[in-house]
Amino acid sequence: MKAATADRVKSRRLPGVDGVWVAIGADSVIFAILFLTFMQDRLKDPALFEASRHTLNMNFGGIDTLILLTSSWSVALAIQAIKRDLVDRVPRYVLGAALTGLLFMVSKSIEYFQKFAEGLTPATNAFYMWYFTLTGIHLLHVVFGTSLLTYVWINSRRGTYTSSNRVVPECVASYWHLVDLLWIVIFPLLYLMKAA
Amino acid sequence: MPFGGTPASAVSMKMVRVIAVTTGSSVYPLRTTNYMEQIMTTHAPPDTSSAARDLSPYPTDYRMWKILAWTGPVFLFAVFVLWGIVARNMPPFPPSATPVEVKSHFQELRLPLLIALSICLTMTAFYMSFSVAVARVMERIEGPGGVLSKLEMMGGTITCAPVMVTMAIWLTAAHEVNNLSPEIMHMLYWFGWLLFDLAYFVTSFQIAAISIVFMRDKREKKLVPDAVSWWGWVTFASFFAVSAIPFVTTGPLAFNGVISFWIAFFTWFIWIPSLAYFIIKAIPRLKAEDEASGRVST
Amino acid sequence: MSVLRERITMVWLGLVVLTCVTTWGLSKDLFSPAVAVVGIFLIAAVKARFVILDFMELAHAPIPVRVAFEAWPVVVSAINLGFWFATP
Repeated sequence: MKAATADRVKSRRLPGVDGVWVAIGADSVIFAILFLTFMQDRLKDPALFEASRHTLNMNFGGIDTLILLTSSWSVALAIQAIKRDLVDRVPRYVLGAALTGLLFMVSKSIEYFQKFAEGLTPATNAFYMWYFTLTGIHLLHVVFGTSLLTYVWINSRRGTYTSSNRVVPECVASYWHLVDLLWIVIFPLLYLMKAA
Repeated sequence: MPFGGTPASAVSMKMVRVIAVTTGSSVYPLRTTNYMEQIMTTHAPPDTSSAARDLSPYPTDYRMWKILAWTGPVFLFAVFVLWGIVARNMPPFPPSATPVEVKSHFQELRLPLLIALSICLTMTAFYMSFSVAVARVMERIEGPGGVLSKLEMMGGTITCAPVMVTMAIWLTAAHEVNNLSPEIMHMLYWFGWLLFDLAYFVTSFQIAAISIVFMRDKREKKLVPDAVSWWGWVTFASFFAVSAIPFVTTGPLAFNGVISFWIAFFTWFIWIPSLAYFIIKAIPRLKAEDEASGRVST
Repeated sequence: MSVLRERITMVWLGLVVLTCVTTWGLSKDLFSPAVAVVGIFLIAAVKARFVILDFMELAHAPIPVRVAFEAWPVVVSAINLGFWFATP
């Protein structure tokens, strides 16, 4: 018999397994180091970086942000449904997250091909090296995350995940939120940061 | 203490030792007609208790095991101090350097390079000895027939090859710098980096095998904590970016860049001592487990 | 579970609005570069914090982990803005 106050107090815990947060934390720190190095390189030639930034399409970037935010929301709804044992609602939310992940990949691919068509590649200058590297490594994260979401979706259709068996989807969801978090910084850094 | 502690097994181990001593064989007991000795092999039948099957019947030299585990930090110290600091590789001389600049760099640093690279080349072998110690701990979780412990030992040992050969290439470049053209010097510099960096996947196999096995440890307090295994996965992932080095000479993916050098190398540099710490600690824990179940043999 | 009444849906709507403000509002030439860049990065930090606390559920995490992750947008913004102001 728990006291009423004890019922309301949730003991502090990390979603999924503790170890995955080591990986998420490490990835966050690594990207922070990349942002710092980008800004260092930008300091060396701000005019070049500004001129190159102008060739980026911020509409693409903004839409990509909205896509990932929606994807994160979708997977968060899935986790909430799992916690409440609404097993039949889980697949649609996970599928939503996976499909929006796929949409991001399509959007990025179109953007990249447009750049290549204009003759802009990672070798063009330092800014483009950073643009392709940062968005490219992020895109690899999106591909990996979308694969994991697809795996979770397949299992969720069999009703595998419940409030007492939710470690795997929680780990995948947490990783997916990281992917969203990183883009929240990458987008303004590359696309919106105008020169003084 | 006689193996197993029962009179029959005491007799059998004594017989094994007698045979080993008289024949000079310290590794393989010869065939005997003794039934007890025959069943205590690594090919235990399935109904043998897993405790007996997990443990090799041969005496465990815990002290040697621990010494080998310590060679991991020794390796790291050698590479970090000698190759990293003395040979000025943190960060490396740029890939964008011209042949003339490369030759001049090797000329300026000739003596420190001769000292640092030669010693580092020799001490690289400590990574191999460390890998053997790790494999033995992994066998306690996977069983002595496990493939991942073998993959780990191979991965760690083969890692020594590109490291040693690279040291030898740069050592040769330094040794011969005054006889070689700038173009040859540039080539030797790149030869070393391409070999050193692109052979990463051998180490990746080692790291993956270690992370998989230690994450499967069923002990309540794992021999190696999950945080270290997950850091292993971070290191594993960070290595792939290095494949870009043939294509760029500046920026984050160049072999002196923030991704291909600082992140790829330092995730590995952090992983080695973190793992080594728990491997060193695991050995007395395993010895205690062996003693508690009466399986220690002298 | 009514999706529309969930906290995470409110958070999502807020994030969408903030994204539109930075992408199609603050980036316009109406604002001086300093105002635009500071505004954009502060908003990015706020968005990051919502993702960390509400989506990643770190509001309920052990305090040291929560603090470490909440520090990330602060540090990243400080780095980006610090360098921006130091760049001619």
